[in-house]
Amino acid sequence: MNVFSVSQFVEFLNAALTTAVFPEGLAIEGEVAEYRVSQDKWIWFLLKDENSVVSCFATVWQLKTPLEDGMQIRIFGYPKIHAKSGKFSVTVERVELMGEGALRRAFELLKKKLAAEGLFAIERKRPLPRFPESVGLIASRESAAYSDFLRILGGRWGGLKIHSAHVQVQGRDAVADIVGAFKYFNAHPGLADVLVLTRGGGSLEDLQAFNSEEVVRAVFGSAIPVVVGVGHERDETLADYAADLRASTPTHAAELLAPHRREVAAFVDGGVERMHGALRGAVGGRAAAIDGMARQIEAHARRRIDDFRHLLLDFARHFAAFRTSNASRLAQGAALASRLSSSASFWAGRFRTAIEAQERLLANVDPRRILSRGYALVRAGGKIVKSAQAVDIGQTVDIQLHQGRIMSKVTEKL
Amino acid sequence: MTASKAEKKFNFGEAYQELEQIIGWFEREEVDLDEGLKKFERGLALAQKCKERLKEVENKVVEIKAKFGEIDGAANE
Repeated sequence: MNVFSVSQFVEFLNAALTTAVFPEGLAIEGEVAEYRVSQDKWIWFLLKDENSVVSCFATVWQLKTPLEDGMQIRIFGYPKIHAKSGKFSVTVERVELMGEGALRRAFELLKKKLAAEGLFAIERKRPLPRFPESVGLIASRESAAYSDFLRILGGRWGGLKIHSAHVQVQGRDAVADIVGAFKYFNAHPGLADVLVLTRGGGSLEDLQAFNSEEVVRAVFGSAIPVVVGVGHERDETLADYAADLRASTPTHAAELLAPHRREVAAFVDGGVERMHGALRGAVGGRAAAIDGMARQIEAHARRRIDDFRHLLLDFARHFAAFRTSNASRLAQGAALASRLSSSASFWAGRFRTAIEAQERLLANVDPRRILSRGYALVRAGGKIVKSAQAVDIGQTVDIQLHQGRIMSKVTEKL
Repeated sequence: MTASKAEKKFNFGEAYQELEQIIGWFEREEVDLDEGLKKFERGLALAQKCKERLKEVENKVVEIKAKFGEIDGAANE
């Protein structure tokens, strides 16, 4: 018989249990009781049925499924005797929730916990690119969700590059696949502007992966915005809540992701129309402004012309008045002149008569007229001789006759 | 890689946004004719490009070959 030390015995037993007795691990179904967490690290609970109880142990980082007393679960793990305490327990690696009640309860518990952490906060949601160029699609290529999404998206928008990550969306591998796909896209940020996680509807059990803490954290933690579209209209998952945009179905996810090309084309056409209209309005406005200015200039000019015309009229009036007043003055002058001239001629006549009388008188007394009657003029020494006394004998005297002169010598005085 | 090629490619989102801004300008402002003509010309060019892009009907699907279940966050990043 082998004799062990205590340590050897515990070691041997643990080795035998894991390698020989349960080489593939073990699975036990039962109801949770006395669930507790110590130091935020260690999880202890009992798994029980009507007759028996088994102690279970797990770490908080390994066991993400929220548990509560009374839940029906299936645990996966290996049995172990703890060296320090000598207690036997099953170390739990994974848990599956049994039945709708447990699933619903786990859902509520996790929702509460993650909500408290702020994973569903509205203010954390990021806007999606308005017109994505590339999409990361996380879905099962065998699902209707996958083909529905692509069909609807293609009907709305073209020219997209869609990188498809094929993942299991239910069963054992679903959580690891989905989380891995998020990691992949975030490690290759050039592949997608936006991520879409989608699958068809199902029971709470089918949708477990989308309610798992790992997937919810992967959605929340993605640096690339995420659209989650799971199930039918009524279905809700925790991944939905963590998404930047929640779609009710795969089809709805496609509708949220891209606008319809028809609407965009209508906006573009309408926009060109509106620009054109505004520009036409501006041209019209400017034409009206020019018309207005022209009218103003015209009015101004007309005012100036009117002013000028008034000035001209004033001038004309003044000139006419001036001319009129001058004309009367001229007329007065003319009257005066004519009066003057008529009186002058009167006087001139009278002078002429008087002069003619004088002339006649003068003609009558002209000595030459007397000479013609036979008289003679005697001059001596240039003087008219009126007396014989005035001459001497022998003196030459000048006798002027009517015609010619005679020089004679005085010979005798009587 | 295709990344550099994609960067040079016409970006619909940017063009559309610029077009929206131009249309908004026309609706908001007292349109200055010179500025308006310039913006109209730019808007028309953008609209033309956007309409060209809208004619693209096909989306290209690329299947990623990675085994996602085996991606270890720490090792991959």
